[in-house]
Amino acid sequence: MPRRTYNIAMVCDFFFPQPGGVESHIYQLASKLIDRGHKVIVITHAYEDRKGIRYLTNGIKVFHVPFAIIYRSATFPTVFSFFPLFRNIIIRERIEIVHGHASFSSLCQEAILHARTMGLRTVYTDHSLFGFADAASILNNKLLKFTLSDVDHVICVSHTCKENTVLRAALDPLMVSVIPNAVVSENFKPLPRPEPNSSIFNQHPLPAHPLGPNDTLTIVVISRLFYNKGTDLLTAAIPRILENHPNTRFIIAGSGPKAIDLEQMIEQNVLQDKVEMLGPVRHENVRDVMVRGHIYLHPSLTEAFGTVIVEAASCGLYVVCTAVGGIPEVLPSHMTVFAQPEENDLVAATGRAIAALRANKVRTEKFHEQVKAMYSWTNVAKRTERVYRGISGDLTNNEFYGYDVGNEGHWSATRGRNFALIDRLKRYYGCGVWAGKLFCLCVVIDYLIFVFLEWFWPRDQIDFARDWPRKRPPESDDEE
Amino acid sequence: MASKPALQLSTTVNGSDHAPSHPSLTRAATLPNDIYSPRAARSHLAPEDAFNTASPPRRQSGFDSSCANDSGPESRPRRMRAKLGSRSRSRRRKRSWKKLLWVKQSYPDNYTDQATFLENLQRNPRLQPYEFWPLVADSTVILQQVCSVTIFIVCFVGIFQERVSPVAVVGWGSFATFVGWLLWDWWVGQEDEDEVLRRRRSNRSRAAREPTRRERPHSVMLGTATPSATSSVTNLAASERAYPQLAMRQSHSASATSLQSGASQASNAARNSSDSVEDLNQRTLSPLRGGRTNLRLGTIKSAILIYFTLLGLSPILKSLTRSTSSDSIWAMSFWLLAINIFFYDYSGGVGVKFPASLSTNAALMASTVLASRLPSTGQVFSLTLFSIEVFGLFPVFRRYARHRSWRYHVALSVLLVIGAGGGVGLILGGDRDNVWPWKSGLLGVLVAIVIAIVAMGGCSWWLIGLQKYKNAINGPWDQARPIIISRRLWDDE
Repeated sequence: MPRRTYNIAMVCDFFFPQPGGVESHIYQLASKLIDRGHKVIVITHAYEDRKGIRYLTNGIKVFHVPFAIIYRSATFPTVFSFFPLFRNIIIRERIEIVHGHASFSSLCQEAILHARTMGLRTVYTDHSLFGFADAASILNNKLLKFTLSDVDHVICVSHTCKENTVLRAALDPLMVSVIPNAVVSENFKPLPRPEPNSSIFNQHPLPAHPLGPNDTLTIVVISRLFYNKGTDLLTAAIPRILENHPNTRFIIAGSGPKAIDLEQMIEQNVLQDKVEMLGPVRHENVRDVMVRGHIYLHPSLTEAFGTVIVEAASCGLYVVCTAVGGIPEVLPSHMTVFAQPEENDLVAATGRAIAALRANKVRTEKFHEQVKAMYSWTNVAKRTERVYRGISGDLTNNEFYGYDVGNEGHWSATRGRNFALIDRLKRYYGCGVWAGKLFCLCVVIDYLIFVFLEWFWPRDQIDFARDWPRKRPPESDDEE
Repeated sequence: MASKPALQLSTTVNGSDHAPSHPSLTRAATLPNDIYSPRAARSHLAPEDAFNTASPPRRQSGFDSSCANDSGPESRPRRMRAKLGSRSRSRRRKRSWKKLLWVKQSYPDNYTDQATFLENLQRNPRLQPYEFWPLVADSTVILQQVCSVTIFIVCFVGIFQERVSPVAVVGWGSFATFVGWLLWDWWVGQEDEDEVLRRRRSNRSRAAREPTRRERPHSVMLGTATPSATSSVTNLAASERAYPQLAMRQSHSASATSLQSGASQASNAARNSSDSVEDLNQRTLSPLRGGRTNLRLGTIKSAILIYFTLLGLSPILKSLTRSTSSDSIWAMSFWLLAINIFFYDYSGGVGVKFPASLSTNAALMASTVLASRLPSTGQVFSLTLFSIEVFGLFPVFRRYARHRSWRYHVALSVLLVIGAGGGVGLILGGDRDNVWPWKSGLLGVLVAIVIAIVAMGGCSWWLIGLQKYKNAINGPWDQARPIIISRRLWDDE
C-alpha cells in the first residue's frame, strides 16, 4: 500500500532570514519532509522587506504574512485577525495538517486555534522550558494551556521538555512525543586528520588532536552571553581553570550583556593572552571556531535540548556541560563531562576533561561518525511523519497510543479529538474557573468568524494553488 | 462535565481508586486514568502535603500503596501486568526504556515510562510553614505604621477643624521626638561602648581566631550606620548631618572618608566586603567616642536648620495647591498614605539601608498637600514639622526600640493603638461641645484594641490557612541557580 503523503503548514513567528535554533529546525524539518514526498509550506510574518510568498531550496513555499512585531520578532497577539488570511492560505494550499512551533509565537498559537475551528489536524512543537514561578511564565503557561487544550499532538525536543510541557498544559503524556533536534553533520566536521600512513607511529586510529604534555589545550565557549546561559559561572571559573592548568587557552564567541563582565575579568586577572573574545559569530562560522579547540565548555543554566553541544561533539570536541534541563539526555557519557551549575564543580569537571584529553583517553576523532549516527534530520522527519500518520488516523489508535487503549474511556475523548464544537468547548472549559469561560468565548467567536467567512468568501470561489512538483516518496521504509 | 484532560500532578500514575475498573496496562504504561477520582481531582496540595515536604507527595497520593512499596523500576509494570491480565503480554519483551535521546530505542516516541516520568518533580521544596504567634508578633510592625499614619491624620483633622491648637500638636510632637532622640542616643552610645569592648577583646584574640572576622562586621555595621540612617531620613538634613561625621573623620584618614561617605549613604555599605568594613570601623570607631558630642551638636544644628527652613517655606506651602479642589487633595493624600503603608520597609533591620525612600517621600508629599489646605502659616508649619517627625524620625526610633528590646516594642505598639483609637474616637465623637468628650475617646480606644487584635490574629490565621494552596513546582526544567563562591570585586558595583 503506498504511503499517504500530507500537505503540511508549518506556522511560526520565527523563520529565516532571522537566524536561530527554531528557525533552522523548521527549515530542516520541512526540507526533509519534502524529500519524503510531502508538501510543506511555512507561514511566518513579514520580515522587513521580505513580504508575500517566497520559495526556498527544495520547494519550501514561505508565506510572509503582514503582522506587526512587538517583541523579539514575535507578533502582536490579536487572536482573530489572522483568521481570514490563514483560511485563505489553508484552502488555497489544500493543507491537512497545521504544525506550529515555539510557544512564544502568537502566530503559532492562533493558527492552531483557527485550524481546529476549520477542522484540521494540528501538531505543536515545543522548543523551550518554562518555570512555574514567575509572572511571565504563568501567563505563558495559561496561554499554552489554551492552545494545547485542543491540539492533536505535541512534539517536544527532550524528555525533560516533555515533562515540562505535560505539566504546563495538562496534557495526556501519550499525546506528547519526544523527537530531538538534529544537526546537519556535514556542516560540523572536524578538521581533516593527517594521513595515517604519513605518520611514523602506526597508531590505529590516530587521535584527531594528539596532545603532547606541553601542547596548548584550547577550550571553546560559544554562547550568547546572557545570565541564563551561565556566563556568571564562566566568569568565575575561567581564572581558576587557567590557574590550575597553565597550558590552556580560552576562545569565547558570542555577545550579550554579560560580555562586559568577562572583559572585566580578563583585565582584572591579566589574561589577555589566554582568553580570546571573538564577539558574535555567524552560525555558518561556528564550525570554524569550534575546530580550533579541544574542549567545548557549556555552562548554561537552562536548556531544552542544547543543539550546540551536539554540534561541538560532531566537530570532535570533548564537551563539558552543566547537567541542567534536557542536556543530560543529549550525548553519551563518553563524549561529555557533566558538572553541577556550581563554580567549584565546573572547575573540577573541566580539570577532569583536560586530564582525560591530555592522557589521550578520549577518542574524539570518532565523535563525528557517532554523532552522525545519532542525530539526523532524516530521522527526525521520519519520526515526525509517524506523528502525522497517527493523528490523521492512518495509524490505528492502538498502534499510535499503545495497545488496548481504545477500551478505556478516559482519554479517548481527547485522543479522538473530534471537531464538534461542543466537545471542543468542553475541553477549553476545563482550563480554569475564569480562564475556561474566557477561552470558550474566544472559541465561540472564532467559530462565528469561521461561519461568516464561509459565507462571505465561499470555499468554492478560492482557487487552488499549483503545487511544486512533488518528490517520489522513498519506497522502502526501514520500519523503526 | 468538563472533559478537559486536566492532568493532575498526582495522576500521572495509576491510582488505587480506579484500579479495578482499569483496563490492562500497555507497553506505554502510563495512563493517567484517575482524573475523575475525587481525591485526585483537586488542583492543589492538601494541607498535609504542605507540611510533609520531606517525602515527595506525588508518591503518597498517586501510587497504589502496594506498588509504592516495591521500588524497583522494573517490578512495577511487571506486577501490574500480571495483575491486570494477559492481553498486553502478547507484546514482546523489550530492552528497558532509557531517558536518553541519543539511543535508538525500540519504543515509540510518545512512550511514557511510568517509572521515571516526572520522577524529578519536587513540590514546595523550600516551604517554611508559618507559625501563629511569631506571625502575630511580626505583624505588630505593620500595626505600628498604620497607627502612626492614623495619628497623623487625626492631628491633621484636628488642626483643620480647629479643635486642636497646632502649637500643641507640634509642641508635644517635638517634645516626644526630643525624648526619643535622647533615648536613641543613649542606646547608640551603649551599643558603641559594647562594640569597643568587644573589639578590644577580639583584637587580642584575632590572631588566634581568624574565623571570628566573618561574623562581626554585621553587628559593627549596625552601630555605625544608624546615624547615617537617621540623617538620610529627611532629605533636607541628610547632607547636613553627614558632614560633621565626615569632617571629624577626615582628620583621621583620607581613605576612610571616601569609604564612610559610601557608608553614610548606606547603599553600598552592606555590600562592601567584610574586610573593608572592618578597616573602616577600626578607623572610625575610636574617634567616635570622643566625637559623640560633636555628633550631637551636628544633629541639633541640622534640626534647627530644618526648623527654620520649614518656617520659611510655610507661606509658600500654604498657597501651593490653592487652585486645586479639596476633593482631589483628599483623594491624592489617601493614595499617598496608602503608598506609604504598602511600601514601608517592614523588614526592620536597624540602619541596614534607607528606610524605604518611596514610602517616606509619599508620606511627606501627602503631608505637604494636606498642609496646603490649612488656612494659616502657623498651622502649615506645624503640620509639616509634625509629619517629618512622624514619618521621618519616628520609624527610626521604632526600629531601634524593636531591635533593643521586645518589651519596648510591645509597649510602643500598645501606646500607638491607644493613641490612634482614642484620636479617632475624639474626632468622630462629634463637634458638639459636650462636657465629657472622653467617652467617645474611650470608646475609640476600645474599638481600636478590638480591631487590632482581631486584625492581627485574623490575618495571621488567614495567611496560615492560605499556606495549603501553596503549590510550587520545581523540576529539572527550572533555571539552575548558579553557586558562585568567589564573588570577585568586579561583581560588587
